[in-house]
Amino acid sequence: MPQLEQVEFFISQLFWLGVFFVILFTVLTYITLPKIRAFLNQRDDFVKSHISKQDELIKKAESIIENYEAKLTEAKNQASQIINDAKDKALKESEDLIKATEEKIQHEIKQTEERVAKEKDTAISELNDQLKDSATNFLSKVTNIEKGNINL
Amino acid sequence: MAKGESPLKQFEIQPIVDINFLGFDISFTNSALWMTITTAFILIFFTVPFLKAKKTNSISDLYPTRMQVAAELGFNFINSLLADTVGKEGKKYFPLVFTLFMFILFGNLFGMIPYSFTFTSHIIVTLALAMGVFIFVTVLGFVKHGVKFFSFFVIPGLPVYMLPLLIPIEIISYLSRPISLSVRLFANMLAGHTLLKVFAGFVSALGFFGILPLVFIIALTGLEILIAFLQAYVFAILTCLYINDALHLH
Repeated sequence: MPQLEQVEFFISQLFWLGVFFVILFTVLTYITLPKIRAFLNQRDDFVKSHISKQDELIKKAESIIENYEAKLTEAKNQASQIINDAKDKALKESEDLIKATEEKIQHEIKQTEERVAKEKDTAISELNDQLKDSATNFLSKVTNIEKGNINL
Repeated sequence: MAKGESPLKQFEIQPIVDINFLGFDISFTNSALWMTITTAFILIFFTVPFLKAKKTNSISDLYPTRMQVAAELGFNFINSLLADTVGKEGKKYFPLVFTLFMFILFGNLFGMIPYSFTFTSHIIVTLALAMGVFIFVTVLGFVKHGVKFFSFFVIPGLPVYMLPLLIPIEIISYLSRPISLSVRLFANMLAGHTLLKVFAGFVSALGFFGILPLVFIIALTGLEILIAFLQAYVFAILTCLYINDALHLH
């Protein structure tokens, strides 16, 4: 077995093993591994920072949604109030109109009644006058007859 | 494989450049070559995708490229492995476990390339790695706990008369850790590659019917790739467990 027979190369093998192992260990320890670690850390930091940024953004979005909903309810309330106001106003206006119209009608009825009454009065007084006249006439005629100088 | 060659020939060390330093033979061998390739590959694979990465806040620069995703996969794999076994304190030992895992993993995987060389199939290499882990963990235990580290060998809640029996057992099991750790990796690599070579020998020996062992070694190659990964994983997770033991004792 060459492993145990070639004793003359033991020192050579140990020497070169030592040389290369030390070279490998030194370069890996001081150059390669720190580089890899720095690279991985950088990426981890990047991911972590983005996760925290994302949390921030989610919070912001939630506050925006809250704000939006609050404004929406406010706007809805305002809208229903406006509608109610408008309804009330319209109702009042129509009631006012009806009232005014009724009053006007009542007024006109009253006026008409007054006018009718007045006309009735004048008519009656005229009639009275005429009656008086005719009565006087009649009377004078009657009295004339009694006096004898009657011409029928 | 040429006729008459042993299936173990693939494990032979062949010097490429003879180097002699203070009387020690430190020739650059095929083993060292594949260590070079493994080291270079790991460094390129994990460093290059992140060279252009700069500080930025734009999202398009944060999308990982394909190569970055691949590198991240390895990074996160070892990261979670350490977090699961050791916990938060394990972060300090991340580079060590990462280096061990990647070095063994790509050593094993490059060993699966035909005509390449598997340096993890050599007991001296795996033993050196395991001893390194063992010594590191022991020193770590003493640094963290001082003399109290010896209480690691005393299982809590045990009757006193059992201690003379169990303390030696605990010490032996502790001392055998580097051996089991190294032999496990070495033997798996050795056995897998030897088996592949033996069956590859059948392919040429059986002529037309060589197609049967050929199908078998294709399936076996898949299994070996799994084992290459698994053994690197086992080595890494045991290192994590040993670190955990050293930090928390029981």
